[in-house]
Amino acid sequence: MNRIRIIKDRIAEGLTWLSSGISALMLIAIFVFIFKRGWSTLNWDLLKNNYNSENLMAGYDHIDWDEHGAFTAPGSLPDDAFFSEKYGVAFVDSVSAAKAPQMEVVFLDPESPLQDGKITTAGPRQGEKLGLEEGLYLKKISYVNLEGDKKSAGLTATQGKTSEELVSVLDNDSTEIVDFYAQTEGGGLKGSIITTLLLIGLTLLIALPIGVFAAIYLHELAPKNKVTAWIRSSIELLSGVPSVIFGLMGMTMLFQVTRLFGITGQSTMLGALTLAVILLPVIIRQTEEALINVPDGYRMASLSMGATQFQTIYKIILPNALPGILSATLLSISRIIGESAALIFTMGTAIMDNPAWNTRGTSLAVHIWTVMSGEQPNFELASAISIVILIIVLILNVSVKYITYRMTRDKDEQKKNNKKEKVKATTET
Amino acid sequence: MTQQIQVQTDNDNAFDIRDFDLYYTDFHALKKINMQIPLNKVTAFIGPSGCGKSTLLRCFNRMNDLIEGVRIEGEIYHHNVEIHSKEVDVVQLRTDVGMVFQQPNPFPMSIYDNVAYGLRCQGVRDRKILDEVVETSLKQAALWDEVKDHLNRNATKLSGGQQQRLCIARAISLTPEVILMDEPTSALDPIATNKIEDLITELKDSYTIIIVTHSMNQAARVSDRTAFFLLGDMIEYDVTEKVFHNPEDKRTEDYISGKFG
Repeated sequence: MNRIRIIKDRIAEGLTWLSSGISALMLIAIFVFIFKRGWSTLNWDLLKNNYNSENLMAGYDHIDWDEHGAFTAPGSLPDDAFFSEKYGVAFVDSVSAAKAPQMEVVFLDPESPLQDGKITTAGPRQGEKLGLEEGLYLKKISYVNLEGDKKSAGLTATQGKTSEELVSVLDNDSTEIVDFYAQTEGGGLKGSIITTLLLIGLTLLIALPIGVFAAIYLHELAPKNKVTAWIRSSIELLSGVPSVIFGLMGMTMLFQVTRLFGITGQSTMLGALTLAVILLPVIIRQTEEALINVPDGYRMASLSMGATQFQTIYKIILPNALPGILSATLLSISRIIGESAALIFTMGTAIMDNPAWNTRGTSLAVHIWTVMSGEQPNFELASAISIVILIIVLILNVSVKYITYRMTRDKDEQKKNNKKEKVKATTET
Repeated sequence: MTQQIQVQTDNDNAFDIRDFDLYYTDFHALKKINMQIPLNKVTAFIGPSGCGKSTLLRCFNRMNDLIEGVRIEGEIYHHNVEIHSKEVDVVQLRTDVGMVFQQPNPFPMSIYDNVAYGLRCQGVRDRKILDEVVETSLKQAALWDEVKDHLNRNATKLSGGQQQRLCIARAISLTPEVILMDEPTSALDPIATNKIEDLITELKDSYTIIIVTHSMNQAARVSDRTAFFLLGDMIEYDVTEKVFHNPEDKRTEDYISGKFG
């Protein structure tokens, strides 16, 4: 009999081990997968670059091509770079985030004649000075060959499709450069990061005051009757509704609100309004939790000293509930960062480089969606963005933990003090 | 010491309670209470747990308003005004009738801010007035010498006894007429209790004090009048010495001699 019990116990224990082991393994697997796929793509440039690359064409006029002698390659060039001694420029072959071959300029000598180009593409930057600078991606370069004919080379031309070929063409066959066509680096997250920050700011601006005031009403002021109970349960119900439905609601109902601001389509503002509705239950619940944790003695003491209800709330209760409200804010931020379904409907999926509150845009999570839903799903970029999101969420969660730790520590100290008093009292009597 | 307490003119009474009933939803917590609380005296409420003494105490500054389902009948007069009537501003009433609670409950802010809280709520911003009130209140509460050098320290860092004296100082800061004390020493050690009791004796010249206590000794030591409650009834109310040495009611005698409670 005893043995059976021991075996049963062991099996039960084993099951709990297994379950927690599986959960931990899954989490670790996700982390490993994402980091493995995305880590090499993730770099500082990715964070600060535009997503859409700019096409630039620059021409070289009135340059005396004979004046310049031969250039020597600097020692700092990467091994896979090819250096043109004639023009003092170096290229590297690489593959873009969208998996297209590209030719990056990695070095341009300050004395090089290629420094003195002027933008010829129509637009606001026309006439601006632009050399074949480091960081540009060369598409095509036009030159005059030894026979005096105009030729072109580069990725989009018929010859010089790799750096090696290009450099050899330039050094051996050209007498002067006519113009070049290049792109700035694209595929960056700058726009989406700005949109995400904008979205966080706008959403909290709307949701925090409403949520905190609603919680104050529900916990401090509302009579404890059926209506209050009904309001509370409908708020809880709200937190169970899938966010896609909120997205639909945002598209149809909240859209009318943003129209008052003169916005005619999807916008960050609309996304923020929708997210605010999604977050309200979270904020209300967390704030109420914080209010419950404020000792009743504070309320009593304040009221008994002739403070009004609102003085009590603003001077005593809210300051004491602040850590809780802060952790509600941090949780909300991680929800905002993670939300995608509702935002696809309300903010669109077009990645913008210069987003504003009244234009479309993508948060980081929707950026992943856009990158993955294109014709060439880009796992590496998606994983890199995931790493960024994971790191932010991780930081936020640790902050929440820290705040709750601080909160409970203060309380424990008070409890300890009280206990000490009581021990003292009993030992002395 | 056998004289019965007479119904005195209202000017000598802090509170005049007439036919007062209180119900918590269905529970009849106070039954037809009739009593007068004299000015500038210490009145003690004693009785076993659940007898209604704290409930009655909380009626004097209407803290029972905060509890759901409380219903009252009868009147409590404070200087000829029924305190539950519509023209009474409850905020004003509470500045006139201060309260000290069972658990020391200083706000988690500095000692100075704790004492200045009541005045600041009334809109006093003048630093000079606040400084003065903080000092006199702390002196009256016999706490000044212990804290005068660190008024900016967080009040929760004080010891339990100091915290309770701070709460008394906080109540005094508004110069109330009455101070209600709801078992003010039950969470304190004997030394701190002594200090509070000494303080009560000192304060009674300037304030009317009503104290609810579980300790018979405390009632005997500090109070001038004692009222004994049992199951919502006021059994006996008289000069303290008479209640303790020559009670009229058998139940009072049983309680005081420790036969129940």
